[in-house]
Amino acid sequence: MLMIVPLNVLRPGERGIVVNILGGPNARQRLVSMGLTPGATVQILEAHPMGPLIISVGGVRFAIGRGLASKVMVRKL
Amino acid sequence: MMKVIALAGNPNVGKTTIFNALTGMRQHVGNWPGVTVEKKEGILEHRGERFLVVDLPGIYSLTAHSIDELVARDFLLKGSADVVVNVIDATALMRNLFLTMEILEMGLKNVIIALNKIDLAEKRGILINVKKMEEIFGVPVIPLNAKEGIGIDELKDKIVQMARGEVHASPIIPRYDPEVEREIRHIEEALRDTELAQNYNLRWLAVKLLQRDDGVIKLVLRHLGKDKLDEIMGHIAEVEERYKRAMDLIIASQKYEFIDDLMHRFVRYTHEQGETLSDQLDRFLTHPVYGILALFGVFYLLFKFVFAFGLPLQEMLDEAFSNFGEWLAPQIANETLRGLVVDGIIAGVGSVLSFFPLVFLLFLAMSILEDIGYMARAATVMERIMRKFGLPGKSFIPLVLAFGCNVPAVMATRTLDEERDRVITMLVNPLIPCSARLSVISFLAGAFFPGNQALVAVSIYAVAILLALLMAWVFSRFVVRGEESPFIIELPEYLVPSWKTVFLHSWERSKEFIKKAGTIILLGSVVIWYLSSYPVEIGSGGSYAERLGAFFEPYMRLMGLDWKAAVSLLFGIIAKENVISTYGVIYGSVDEIVNAMSPLQAYVLALVTTLYVPCIATIGAVRAESNWKWALFTVVYMIALASIVGILAWNVGVALGL
Repeated sequence: MLMIVPLNVLRPGERGIVVNILGGPNARQRLVSMGLTPGATVQILEAHPMGPLIISVGGVRFAIGRGLASKVMVRKL
Repeated sequence: MMKVIALAGNPNVGKTTIFNALTGMRQHVGNWPGVTVEKKEGILEHRGERFLVVDLPGIYSLTAHSIDELVARDFLLKGSADVVVNVIDATALMRNLFLTMEILEMGLKNVIIALNKIDLAEKRGILINVKKMEEIFGVPVIPLNAKEGIGIDELKDKIVQMARGEVHASPIIPRYDPEVEREIRHIEEALRDTELAQNYNLRWLAVKLLQRDDGVIKLVLRHLGKDKLDEIMGHIAEVEERYKRAMDLIIASQKYEFIDDLMHRFVRYTHEQGETLSDQLDRFLTHPVYGILALFGVFYLLFKFVFAFGLPLQEMLDEAFSNFGEWLAPQIANETLRGLVVDGIIAGVGSVLSFFPLVFLLFLAMSILEDIGYMARAATVMERIMRKFGLPGKSFIPLVLAFGCNVPAVMATRTLDEERDRVITMLVNPLIPCSARLSVISFLAGAFFPGNQALVAVSIYAVAILLALLMAWVFSRFVVRGEESPFIIELPEYLVPSWKTVFLHSWERSKEFIKKAGTIILLGSVVIWYLSSYPVEIGSGGSYAERLGAFFEPYMRLMGLDWKAAVSLLFGIIAKENVISTYGVIYGSVDEIVNAMSPLQAYVLALVTTLYVPCIATIGAVRAESNWKWALFTVVYMIALASIVGILAWNVGVALGL
């Protein structure tokens, strides 16, 4: 079954494939140019209830705000 | 005309290290015309030829969503570079090649790929067949380990060859799905008969139009008219409908797919990467609780280091200059000239230069933390807290630096991505008490509140910090417009700093401080000298400075202070520590202050000194990083704020019977 959820609901260690990015062109371009594009695999490394998520995409680590992460739709693996 | 080499690449790929290796000490830091983006230029000499090397801002793509990207894109688009060196990080190929593809898509043929951190990639089991990569990309690829200087000579050779036109490149261009390609062709055909065909690569224009790039839309509108543009946009909307995705996403993901296909042909992975030391460190350093504790620890050590070495050096320089002045004074016969040279110019140059050690060390400590990779972590842990006040986590760094000196702190605001964040951080920066104000606060607290001095000093710091945060919130709501920047930041691998890079960077920055702030400080101290020596020497009550003080006396009364405070505060604009020494001049001795003021008055004076007009070096820095308008705004709002706080504190104090 396909489970499409926003990135911010994944838990540490879980992975997902980006299927779409919502939000305005500004945020979208920013994410895309950093490698968070449809088709990319994202893994959550750290997620604390407060503060940004730490993720890994294409061998690179990023800190991403929860607001921005909620615009990244992923298929949970 | 010297030929121009442009360095383009993502942030954190070692672009600066390569720039330094190419140019050595022959470099110059300035600004790109009209914007506050740092422009670094240097001279490369190789095989008897000289080149101008331009370091473009570190960027992830060539859309026009940030000033950095726009600057880099315009530079490349205008064909300003004879050779473009695209620096890429071998450990993060996929993402780095995205920018490479955008550069090649512009139709540039003079591109060299500098494949940096090749050693690190091998260690992580990423094996790159460079020869194969060259074949596929159709441009020269030079593997490097720039930090150790490996590959630099080969890069220089290739640059010379390409500049001479001896390299025949046939760069690869990214291809998309047939449906997208059909749209590209359609747009290209429409543009073929316009003037745009002479100045631009049509395929690039077509792709950018598909991505709804603002600049390109305007350009096409001018040349094709509204009807044709609407027709094209209609096509785009249809494709989007079929893909159920925005066109810029379709293009980006197909570009990544294209890169992925290429990578299968020249990259091999020998072993899976386990957890690295960086991963382990980050678990701790980006943690919402431990991370903040670590942050305080790091900045505590930073200030300890800066003050331990900086303050003695500052005193030494101060003394050297006043000794020099004393020695020089009797040699000048003309009294006016003597005053101007000794009390005006030498004192002015002295106060500029005495800042230098502190500023240099602050920049040094900052560059080290930046080079190690810690700054991205600091921004991450502060994000949640700073956002409450309308600022990004990154703005925490310039604000903390302000406790040392506001000048490098204001200069550090240029690391912020958005104009809006930069301006707000700059405006509230002078509210944070620097080390010069610490000396005033601790003197007054010690003299008037023996036993409670720490508490008094802390209360003043608390007021200043709270006001800085409050004003940041107010400015972000009502004064400085602009979208809140979405937060995403790369956490680069922790690295041992490259000392050459760190020293060069701090040296350049401090030199810039001297140049930019120097003239304004010098000018200010000449003015102050004039006001305090004419028509009669200060101390008699008849100097211009004292007359000015008397003029402001009614205003100062509102906060329980007198003309002496006005004069002292006036001189404090040169350097805040002058507030106390001016009292010394007026009374003949600093110790007299204790008898001349009540503790409440001293408290108000300490508050007002902390909050009023920034010193002129800081005003100069704000002007240099933004414009006169914001510099003036800073002065005006701070005077207003200091007055309100001063009047309030005095009246509350009196009402409480203090």
